[in-house]
Amino acid sequence: MKRSVDSPSRLVDRRAFIKVSALTGGGLLVGTYLRFGPSAAFAEALPAAADTFTPNAFISIAPTGAVSIIAPNSEMGQGIKTGLPMIVAEELDVPWEQVTVVQGDLNPAYGRQFSVGSGSTTGNFTPLRHAGATARAMLVAAAADTWGVPATECTTEKGAVVHVASKRRATYGELATKAAALTPPANAPLKDAKDFKLLGTRVPGVDNKKIVIGAPLFGIDVKLPGMLYATYTKCPVFGGTVVSANIDEIKTRPGVRDAFVLDGIEGLTPGIAIVADSTWNAFSAGESLKVKWNEGAVASQSSVEMAKQAEQLAKSAPPAALPAGAKVVEAAYHYPFLAHATLEPQNCTALFKNGVMEMWTPTQIPASGQSLVTRGLGLAAKDVVVHITRLGGGFGRRGSNEYSLEAAAIAKKLEGTPVKLMWKREDDFAHDNYRSNGWHYFSAGVDASGKVVALHDAFVKMQGGPGDMSADGFPFIAVPGSGVKSSKLPPGIPTGYWRAPGDNGNVWATQCFVDELAHAAGREPLAFTLDLIAATPSGGERGFDPAKMLTVLNLATKKAGWGTPRPRGEGQGFAITHTNNAYIAIVADVAVTREGELTIKKLTGVVDAGTIINMSAAEAQVQGAMLDGISAAWFQKITIEHGAAAQANFSDYRMLRMNQVPPVVDVEFIKSSAPPTGLGEPGLPAAAPALCNAIFAATGVRVRTLPIFDASLKWS
Amino acid sequence: MSQYTLSVNGQSHSVDVTSDTPLLWVLRDSLGLTGTKYGCGIGECGACTVHLDGVPKRACQTPVSEVGHAAVTTIEGLDPTGKHPLQQAWCELDVPQCGYCQAGQLMTAAALLKRTPHPTDADIDRTMAGNLCRCNSYVRIRAGIKRGAELAAGVAHAQGGQS
Repeated sequence: MKRSVDSPSRLVDRRAFIKVSALTGGGLLVGTYLRFGPSAAFAEALPAAADTFTPNAFISIAPTGAVSIIAPNSEMGQGIKTGLPMIVAEELDVPWEQVTVVQGDLNPAYGRQFSVGSGSTTGNFTPLRHAGATARAMLVAAAADTWGVPATECTTEKGAVVHVASKRRATYGELATKAAALTPPANAPLKDAKDFKLLGTRVPGVDNKKIVIGAPLFGIDVKLPGMLYATYTKCPVFGGTVVSANIDEIKTRPGVRDAFVLDGIEGLTPGIAIVADSTWNAFSAGESLKVKWNEGAVASQSSVEMAKQAEQLAKSAPPAALPAGAKVVEAAYHYPFLAHATLEPQNCTALFKNGVMEMWTPTQIPASGQSLVTRGLGLAAKDVVVHITRLGGGFGRRGSNEYSLEAAAIAKKLEGTPVKLMWKREDDFAHDNYRSNGWHYFSAGVDASGKVVALHDAFVKMQGGPGDMSADGFPFIAVPGSGVKSSKLPPGIPTGYWRAPGDNGNVWATQCFVDELAHAAGREPLAFTLDLIAATPSGGERGFDPAKMLTVLNLATKKAGWGTPRPRGEGQGFAITHTNNAYIAIVADVAVTREGELTIKKLTGVVDAGTIINMSAAEAQVQGAMLDGISAAWFQKITIEHGAAAQANFSDYRMLRMNQVPPVVDVEFIKSSAPPTGLGEPGLPAAAPALCNAIFAATGVRVRTLPIFDASLKWS
Repeated sequence: MSQYTLSVNGQSHSVDVTSDTPLLWVLRDSLGLTGTKYGCGIGECGACTVHLDGVPKRACQTPVSEVGHAAVTTIEGLDPTGKHPLQQAWCELDVPQCGYCQAGQLMTAAALLKRTPHPTDADIDRTMAGNLCRCNSYVRIRAGIKRGAELAAGVAHAQGGQS
């Protein structure tokens, strides 16, 4: 954990083969494969030695006692490079201080290597526990055999096997060589959760030291000898193609080494590659690029037109009639397209040499990058090597890997020369897979006693991508006979996974509408919602547990002092979500001036996410996700004009800044020994509706269209 | 292309680049100092913040031709051993999430502490408002600056005691 290891892997896979070949070939390529930049080692690899104990793909224990553990998944700020190895270390029973964490490359031996859907921990928890427990059992067996005692009489502590009766102790390092000769047991026992020593504690990120001294870690930091720098320009209108471009003129620009059109490659959007001796020279040359585009059919699409179409679609699919005699409550909610805007723009470094495409890519799904390149460039999977770098943010953006294919396609044209493709920030805003826009047309019935007797939603979004709406979640499952009718706008604008897909917009709309229903029923919103949750059957398609939801909502509102009288212009709002199987309640405290200036005074979140792996990362994820939800709802929208994104940079796509962050963002976790739920995303969805409900409490202004920034919050 | 001699982290470097090349790309591509990050290219995000003669500047908005004899300090030069009070505080409080913005955050915060050893919340909010964190790690950045100020005061106190 304190260091990076730059010796080659002994794993018998393509990657190891290449590295070992490079070594035996005279060591010339060692620098190429394992060391980048002038200041620090970039790549990491498990130590290789004949006497090293490697019981499985994740663990290596050297006779010196040094323990290396593979971090299989992509680190993008969610803490997975620290959290997954912690799970192994817990079962292995080794002090964290002795552990060196090694980022794994794409390798089938590592199992579930994709980091999406808040699933890295939930999907890897049990396999990694077994990996650690198996190694521990083998070390115990080695010690028992050495001492001639039953293994059942031996225990482990702090990286050593102990035989209490005879007061004998052997470190894992001392046992490594002997353990390496044993056969792994099939069913090594797992620890009881109550015996966890490491899991649930606060462990700082393993790369923190490198981050604070500016050591190379990210995709953008990769530097190979003789590397060139590339940009790739695509039609601003989605689906557009290149007719012609001033390629010959571009080739005369300072520092430009090559320029060419790429087209006809499966999975690749056509465009113009400019390859130069520096990023700046590539960017600069791009300013002189003159392209005749065939814009195609999407040029007729715009956000204004989509809003009209959405209303038409919703009207053409009217919800079921409401029960006679019920008070009718109707409201229309709309959320816009969002960009991911990872602070590290998309990039990938690729080298095509001797028939092998080697890529260093910040990706959430390395295997999809590999298959995209395999299909697009006609290479065999074994000849596409993917190194996973640290990601400067993910948020769902880096699952699509189209930038990896672009880099590989450029590198293939420049065989033997490594190329780093760098998107400009403007490219990133123009060619995202946006969070789909969405429209909710709610209609509900409330009876004389204040009970919701019907709840209907006509929902509209872009065709394709995630985020569809169905009646399988709260509050629909709380109201018998409720329903959702979902319609789709024609495709054209690319949409994709954005942190907490679906819930990131739909929970905002439904939780705000529940607040509206409480007021329409003449009831206090907290009591109203608690009743609604209590009336919800447990189970259902999403496995909803009303008791867990009641617990987090009761605690969050209690902690936030819910119900305390406040002057006009100040207010509280709350919202709940059941996302990635975690239960979260958030309370927002706001103040709004008469002129409509909003200040968030406090956010309180209570979370039931099952077993917490790393308390520091868990708290950071929920704080960050809550503020991410606030940031998006307050400021952000991508507007489509003439089939293209109208926003190009952070000047017109604003984000939350330090002076807008509330002084208190309180997060508490419910103690639980249940299996861990997802946690990278669940903190996000309930933040925006809590904020909007608080704004309503403070001002009487109901925000039904995002971003909040576009609405007037003035009151008198 | 023109020749420029720059003083970066106490070392003199000669580079041959076009005169409009931003300092950001000279640092990253010519000198291999990749700690300074590209985020927006228009001075909006603060990821490229470096010090010129101790004053925080956006390296993406500073053409190499305008650097002159100014002493450039990048994140690699703040304290290469990671012992700057803010670097220690960042590790202690586990501030980084993805970590991409943190070099810029640290450089802005380091200049703040030099000028204002005991910053108030308002000082922090005002000074740090130019540095975006897409992960929204703001709560810990704020706490990290306060902890860094404490550590710096402790160091200053200890040194004062010895002299």
